[in-house]
Amino acid sequence: MAFNLPTETAKGKIREVELGAGEKARKVGGESCLPFYLWEGEMPNKPLVAAEVIDLVGELPSALEEALGEVKGDPIAWAKKAVEEWGADAIFLLLASTDPKATNASAEEAAETVLKVEEAVNVPVIVYGTEDLDKDAEIARVVATKAEGKNLLLGPAKEDNFKKVGAPAIGYKQTVSGMTPIDVNLAKQLNILLTNLGMEAEKLVIDPTTGALGYGLEYSYSVMERLKIAGLFQDDSMTQMPMLANIGFQAWKTKEAKSSEGEYPEWGNAAKRGIMWETITAVALLMAGADILVLRHPESIRLVKKLIADLSG
Amino acid sequence: MQDSCRVLFLPDNRYVMVPKGENLLKAAMDADVHVNASCGGSGSCGKCRVLVEEGEVEREPNPKLSEEEISQGYALACQTSVLSDLRVSIPIESRIGDRRIFERKEPEPAHGHLLSAADWEKRLPHWELNPSTRKIHLVLAEPTLDDNVSDAERVKRGLAVETGLRDVIIDYPVLQRLPNMLRQSDWDITVTVLDSGEELRAVRIEQGDTSGRQSAIAIDVGTTTISAELIDLQTGEVTARASDYNAQVAFGEDVITRIIYATRGTGLAKLQSVVVGTIWNLIKSLVEQAGIEYCDITHLVVSGNTTMTHLLLGLNPRYIREEPYIPSATFFPWIKCSDLGLRIAAGVYLYAVPCVASYVGGDIVAGMLASGIFNADKLTLYIDIGTNGEMVLGNREWMLSCSCSAGPAFEGGGVKHGMRATRGAIEQVRINKVNYEPMIITVGHRRPIGICGSGLIDALSEMFLTGIVNEKGKINTELPTDRVRATEGGAEYVLVRAEDSATRRDIVITEVDIDNLMRAKAAVYAGIEILLSSVDMDVSMIDELLIAGAFGRYLEVDKAVTIGLLPDIGYEKMKFVGNGSLLGAHLAALSKDMLNKAKDIAHQMTYLELSMNPAFMEHYLSALFFPHTNLEAFPSVRERLESYRNEQRLAGEAAVGGEVG
Repeated sequence: MAFNLPTETAKGKIREVELGAGEKARKVGGESCLPFYLWEGEMPNKPLVAAEVIDLVGELPSALEEALGEVKGDPIAWAKKAVEEWGADAIFLLLASTDPKATNASAEEAAETVLKVEEAVNVPVIVYGTEDLDKDAEIARVVATKAEGKNLLLGPAKEDNFKKVGAPAIGYKQTVSGMTPIDVNLAKQLNILLTNLGMEAEKLVIDPTTGALGYGLEYSYSVMERLKIAGLFQDDSMTQMPMLANIGFQAWKTKEAKSSEGEYPEWGNAAKRGIMWETITAVALLMAGADILVLRHPESIRLVKKLIADLSG
Repeated sequence: MQDSCRVLFLPDNRYVMVPKGENLLKAAMDADVHVNASCGGSGSCGKCRVLVEEGEVEREPNPKLSEEEISQGYALACQTSVLSDLRVSIPIESRIGDRRIFERKEPEPAHGHLLSAADWEKRLPHWELNPSTRKIHLVLAEPTLDDNVSDAERVKRGLAVETGLRDVIIDYPVLQRLPNMLRQSDWDITVTVLDSGEELRAVRIEQGDTSGRQSAIAIDVGTTTISAELIDLQTGEVTARASDYNAQVAFGEDVITRIIYATRGTGLAKLQSVVVGTIWNLIKSLVEQAGIEYCDITHLVVSGNTTMTHLLLGLNPRYIREEPYIPSATFFPWIKCSDLGLRIAAGVYLYAVPCVASYVGGDIVAGMLASGIFNADKLTLYIDIGTNGEMVLGNREWMLSCSCSAGPAFEGGGVKHGMRATRGAIEQVRINKVNYEPMIITVGHRRPIGICGSGLIDALSEMFLTGIVNEKGKINTELPTDRVRATEGGAEYVLVRAEDSATRRDIVITEVDIDNLMRAKAAVYAGIEILLSSVDMDVSMIDELLIAGAFGRYLEVDKAVTIGLLPDIGYEKMKFVGNGSLLGAHLAALSKDMLNKAKDIAHQMTYLELSMNPAFMEHYLSALFFPHTNLEAFPSVRERLESYRNEQRLAGEAAVGGEVG
C-alpha cells in the first residue's frame, strides 16, 4: 500500500500585502500553509529578503565594513549596490540620523533621503525610524506626505503612537508595520487598533520584535509561529498579516557576531562567524513564518535567498 | 388594573414597559433614550425637562418648573412618576447637540436587561420540609416500681414509641435538667432532637407542648454584608428578614487584611466576637419583627466564604493565605451556638455550609444548591463577582470551580471617585454618542458623591461604545468636548461637573481607574476561559449563565458584556440569582435532604487553583482589551460598535450639512 503523507489544510490564509507601487511593487504573504509546507498549501510569494541601509552609521563590525566599502556613507549608493549586486528584493532604510538622542536630523531631511533612495532602486522600500515615539510619528507624517502614492512600508507603529503613524499612512496610501514586544495578544491588539483607525488590513505588516540567536530567538520563534498558526488554522483575521523580522540589526549587535578574532581567537574567523550568526537567525525565523527578512551582510542575503529558492523547489 | 405601563419616548420612537410608579428618568434609562441628567436624579439641575404629551404622571413640586410649564405638560423626568401609559417627547434642550435625523420606524421595545430570578421550585429536585431539628411532644407514663427505668431511658423510650427515633443521645445539659423538668411538667414535655446526619441528639427539653412553635435562621455571612432570614419551620415561610454591614469591615475591607488581623495577638477572638455581635443584632431584629420567643429558634444554618466561616467559628485562617493555601477545615460539625458566644436559647445548634477550598467557600456551595445546578442537565456557569470572582462550571454530572482575585474595583475600590453602592453613588450611566454628555442616576436619587461598581461598568461601557475610550483603555483627548481632558496623571472624563456634585468637586473617571477595572474584568474573564478550556469547552457551549452576589443585582448585563467582563452568549441565557448564598442556607435550614445535598456538592466540586495554571497569564493578557483581543467572541459588541460608529458618522455629516445649509 502506498504511503500517503498526512496533510492538514489551513482554514485561513495570510493576507497578500503589496509593497511599493507600479513596476516596483512586490507582494508578500498570501500563504495558505505553514512555512514551506508546500504539500499542504501554497506560498504564492516567496519570503522577501530586504537589505538594511542606514542613512547615518558609525563603525560597523569589520565584515560589514568590508562588504560595504565606500557606499557606507551614501545610503543611495548603498541601496543601489544592495539591489544590483547583492540581489536584495527590497530596501529597509533605517533613518538613524533622526535619533533625537544623537544627531536628531529633521523629518524633512530624512524624507529627502527616503525619496532619493526610492528613486534609485526598482524594489519596494521599507522606512523605519529609531523607535522614538514622537520622532517616528513626525517622520511618518512628513515621509507619507512627500512620498504619496509610493506605498512605502512605514514603521514602526507602536501602541503609543499608532494613530500618528497610521493616519498619514491612510491619507497618503502607504503601508504600515506595527511593532509590539514579542507577544501574540499585543500584536493582535495593535492590528485591531490600527484597523479601527481606518487602516485596511491589507496595508498592515506585523513586526513582532526580533531576538537574535542566543538573545531571545526562541521567544521570537514561538510568538511568530503562534501568530502564523492562529492566522492559518484558527482563521484569526487580526493575525493574518505578513510578518517582518528585523534580523541584521539584532544579529550584528551580538558579541558573538561583532567581536574580532583578536578578542576571541578560539571563536574562529570573525566574518564567517558574523555571517553565520545572521544567517542562522534568519533561517530559524524563516521557519517560524517570517515573510520579510531584513539582513545586513551580502553573504547572508545570498545564503538566505538560496535556501528560500531550494525550499521552494 | 394596570401594574405595568408602556412609556413611549419621542422622537426616538422607542418604548419600554415599566411598573406603575416608576421614575420617568429611570424609564428613559431603561429605554436607552438620552435625556440630559447631570445631578443624579436629585432634581437640582433641572436639565431633564420632558413634555408629557399623553398619559398620567405625578410630579414632585420643583422650583425649576413653573405653573405655566406644568400646565403645558412639562415635567422633570427625575422628579416624575409614571402612573399610566405615556407618550413623552424629549425637547431639543434636553438632548442638546444631538442633531440626528431619525428614520421613522415602528416603536421598538428596549431590551429588558433586568432578569428576574427564576422559579427555584422548577430547578430543584422534589424535597420536603424536613428540617434537621424536630420538636417532639411527649406525654410519658409516670415511673412506678414495676416501670423503674431512669428518666433518660424513659424519654428515649418515649421518643422511640412516639416517632420511631432510636438511640437518641441526650445532651449533657439536658440530662442535668431532666429530673426536675419531667416532674414539674407532669411528664408532659417537648424534646428537640437534632439529626446531625451521624447521630440523633436531644438538645433541648421544654415543659408542655411547644412543638407548634419552631423556627430556624438562615444567615449569609458576607465579607461586607450579613443577611439573615427567620423561617417558620411549620410552614417553611420566611417570617422576617434583616441585614447589616459585617462589623468586621472596620478591621479591613477584604478577606486578606482580615486574615492578617486575625493572626496577630488576640485578633481572631476579636473578629469572632465582632461578627457574632452583628449576627446577634440581626437575630434580635428578626425575633422582634416576627414577634416570636428566642426559645422558638431551634437551629441556624450559616454560609460564608471560607475565611468568613473560619472567623465566625474561631478557626485559625492563617494558612488560607499562605501557599499552598490550606484551610483548617472545609466540613464543619454542628456546633453549639453558645460555644461561639451566641446565647440565643438552650441547645441551639449551628451548621456552617461546607467549603470547597480556601477561595471557594460555603457561599458558593450554597449558591450551587439554591440555583439547582447540581440538578441541571444544562451546562451552567455560575459567577459571583466581588473582590474575588468565584465561578463554577458544571451540571448534575460534574462541577468545576475556581476563584480569581479581581481586586476591589468592582466595589468602588482603587478608583479615584469610587464608592460603595450607597446613597449618592452613581449606579447608572448613559453617554450621548454625539456630544458625549452623560445621563446619570444615583442611588437614592441624590446629588452624586462618587461612583459604585455597577456605575463604573456602565460608564466604562458607554465610554467605550461612544469612542471616548479605545480598546486599550486610553481616553481620546481629541474629542470635541471639554469633558475629556489631559492631566498630569493621564487623561480623564468628567462624569459630573463640580456644580452638580454633592462634593462640589468634579467626579471623573481616569485612565488609571479604567486600567484597574480592565485588570479586574480580565481576571474574571480569564477565570471563565480557564474553567472552560480545562474541560475542552468554549463559551458557546454554556447553556445558562447565573450571576450571583449583591453586585450582580445592580449589574447591567449588556454593559458587562460590552467591556468583556461576561461572555457574549446572548442575554436570554443570563439570569440573576440574587443572594445565592442566603437562598442556599435557607434551603439547608428547611430540609435535611438539602443540607446533605450541600455536603455532596462540596464533595463533588473540583477546585482549580489558578495560581498554578500556566495558561492563566495568556488568557489574562488577551482579556486586557475592550471587549477582548478575540473580538470574534463578542459578536453583539461588534455589532453595537458598528452601529454607534455609523450613527456618529451620520450625526457628523448632518452637523456639517446643517452648518452649510
